[in-house]
Amino acid sequence: MGEPGKNAAIDYIVRLIDIRKTYITGDLKVPVLKGIDATVRRGEFVGFIGTSGSGKSTLLNILGMLDVPTGGEYYLEDTEVGRLTDVEQATIRNRKIGFIFQSFNLFPHLSVEENIEVPMVYGRIPRKIRRKRALELAERVGLGHRLGHRPTQLSGGECQRIAIARALSNTPAFILADEPTGNLDEKTSAEIMKLFHELNREQGVTIVMVTHNPALASHYDKIIRLRDGRIDEPAREQPPEAERKEIAP
Amino acid sequence: MMLVRDLFRLSLHNLLLHKVRSTLTSLGVIFGVGSVIAMLAISEGAKRSALAQIEAMGVDKIIVFSKRPPVDGKSESSNNASVMERYGLSDRDLGNIAKMDNVERITSVFDARKKVLKGTQRTDLKLIGCDYELLQDSQVQIEKGRWFSPADFKNNANVCVIGKNVKRRLFSIGNTNIVGSVIRIEDAVFRIIGIIDNRYGTQYPEIGNQNDMILIPITTARALYKDYTFYREGQNFKITRIEYDLFLIKVADTSYIENTAKRVTGYLEKAHSDTKDWGVLVPLELLMRLEQTQNIFTIVMGSIAGISLVVGGIGIMNIMLASVYERRKEIGTRRALGAQKSDILLQFLIETVFLTSLGGVTGIMLGFGIGWAITYYTEMPTIYSAWSIALALVISTLTGVIFGTYPAYKAAQQNPITVLRAE
Repeated sequence: MGEPGKNAAIDYIVRLIDIRKTYITGDLKVPVLKGIDATVRRGEFVGFIGTSGSGKSTLLNILGMLDVPTGGEYYLEDTEVGRLTDVEQATIRNRKIGFIFQSFNLFPHLSVEENIEVPMVYGRIPRKIRRKRALELAERVGLGHRLGHRPTQLSGGECQRIAIARALSNTPAFILADEPTGNLDEKTSAEIMKLFHELNREQGVTIVMVTHNPALASHYDKIIRLRDGRIDEPAREQPPEAERKEIAP
Repeated sequence: MMLVRDLFRLSLHNLLLHKVRSTLTSLGVIFGVGSVIAMLAISEGAKRSALAQIEAMGVDKIIVFSKRPPVDGKSESSNNASVMERYGLSDRDLGNIAKMDNVERITSVFDARKKVLKGTQRTDLKLIGCDYELLQDSQVQIEKGRWFSPADFKNNANVCVIGKNVKRRLFSIGNTNIVGSVIRIEDAVFRIIGIIDNRYGTQYPEIGNQNDMILIPITTARALYKDYTFYREGQNFKITRIEYDLFLIKVADTSYIENTAKRVTGYLEKAHSDTKDWGVLVPLELLMRLEQTQNIFTIVMGSIAGISLVVGGIGIMNIMLASVYERRKEIGTRRALGAQKSDILLQFLIETVFLTSLGGVTGIMLGFGIGWAITYYTEMPTIYSAWSIALALVISTLTGVIFGTYPAYKAAQQNPITVLRAE
C-alpha cells in the first residue's frame, strides 16, 4: 500500500503519517496513539470509529489542531500543521476546520444568526457579509426562519443544524464532527446524518466524523477503526452507495 | 476594530445575562467612585467658599493696616498720666505709597473709635470713615438705599451707610423706614442713606466685617474727629492718634502684586523702623497658600476614597477569575472555532472594563447623590468639577484594565482540550 499521500494526483485534505501521542504523568508514560497513518480525500465522508480508550478523542484533538502530536506528521492541505505557532494554528482552525460538537456548544446568549457568525467574527469578516452568509447557511440547514431565536428556544436537532451551519461559515477544508448525534434521539439523529449526507454528496463538503457508534458506519465512504491507539484494520473503502443496504442509524 | 465592536456587544450580552452578579460585582467600584466624587466635591466646595472670601478682599489688592505696636510693660506704667499714643499709617505713607509704580489708587479707611450705643449698652459696631471707592473695592452689595455721592465727601455730609448687622442690632425687626432715619453717635447725628450687605463675609484686619460697620465719608470723619481718640483705660486718660487704619492698594495688574507688595513692605520697614505698627496682607498670596493646602487635603481625601476602589477592583478580579473557570467550555469552543488567545484575552478584558466603566458611571451618579445630601443636611457647599468626573471615569476604566488583565490572561491560557472536555 505504501506511504499514504505519496500519490500527488490525489487531492488529499488530511494526511496523517505515523502520528503518535504519549501522555506523560509524572514518571509514567502513557502512549495513547501508537502510530496512525490515515488520509482523507477532498469530498470524502470518513468515519473514525473506536470505543472509549481507543485514542479516538486524542486523535480528534490532533485532527482539530487543539493538541499537537508527540510524533509523526499531520498535513492539512499540504501544510504540516503539527508544529505551527499558536497564532498560525488558530488561524488554520478558523479557516480550514469546521468543528461540530456532541453537545452542540452553541452560545446560549447569542442569537442563531450570531452563533453562525462566530467563526466569521474571528476570521475578521465584515458584518454585512457575515449577515448574508449566516442567512444562506441557516437556510441551507433548513432554519432560515429561526435566525432571531436563541439556542435555548430550539430543539436538540435544530441546535445541531445551527452548529453545522456555524461549522460551514468559513467554508472550511473539512468538517470535523465529534459524535454529532450522541445527544440526539434516533429520529433526529437520522435527520442530522441525512443533512451531513446531503452536504457531502450535493455540495462536496469533506466530513470527518469521530464516533463510537458503529451503527453510523453505513454513511461513510471510508471507515477507520481505532483500537488501542492503532488502526485496527486497513482503511476500508465502502462499496458505492447504491450497492449498500441502508442501515438506519 | 471590527472584532472589538463585536466583543463589546458580546460583553454587554454577558453582563445582562448575569444582571445580579454584574451589579454586585461592580458595587465596589460604584462605592469607590461615588466616594471619590463626593470627597472631591466637598473639598472643592470648601476650597471655593474660602477662595470667594479671599477674592472678595480683592486679589488685585494689597491691604496695609495699622496695628497697635506691642507695648513695653515698663514704659507704660512709668509715664502713664496722659500719654499720647501715636502709631499706624500716616498721610505721608499714603502719599509715598501712592507714588509707587503700578499703584493705581489707594482707598483709605479710618476707624473713628467711637462707642456706638444701643440705649445705654455698648455694641461692637464700629464707626468707620471711608473713601468713595470702598464700595467697589470690597464688593459689598447695596441692599437698600444708595452709596455716598461725591458731593457727600465734598460737603462733609453727616450721612451714613450701615451694614446689614447694624440694621438688625439697632433697629427692631420689621422696621421698614430705616433708610432716611437718623442715628446718633455721641454728639453727632447721621442720616442713614443706605444699607449694605457683605455676602462674602470679608474681614479686613483690625477692622472686621463691613456688616458690623456704620460707614461715613472719610472727610466727615476727619472734620468731626480729627485723628484723635480719647479713651479711658482704668484710671488713666489716653489719647490715641492714628491717621489711617487701612489702605486698600489697588495694583494695576495682578502680575505686579508680588513686586509691589515687596516694595510697600520695604518702604514701611524703613519709614516705621522704630515700631512695628503696621501689617501687610496680600490676598493673592493667601489664595495661593490656601490652594496649596487645599490640594494636599484633596489628595489625602482622594487617596482614602481610592482605597475603596482598590478593594472594589480586587472584588472584580475575584469574580472574573471564578467566571473564567465557569466559562471554560465557552472559552474552549471559541478557541476551537478559531479564536486567537489574544481574542479571548480581549474579550474578558473588555468585559471587565465594561463592568468597571458602568460601575464608574453609576458611581458618579451616586457621588452626586451623596454630595447633594451633604449640602442639603449640613449646608456645606459641594462643587463638581468636570475634571473630577473625567478622573472618576478614567480611574474606573483603569481599575478594569488593572484588575481585569490577570483573569483575562488566565482565560487566554486555558487549554482548549481540557476545557472542552469539561461539561
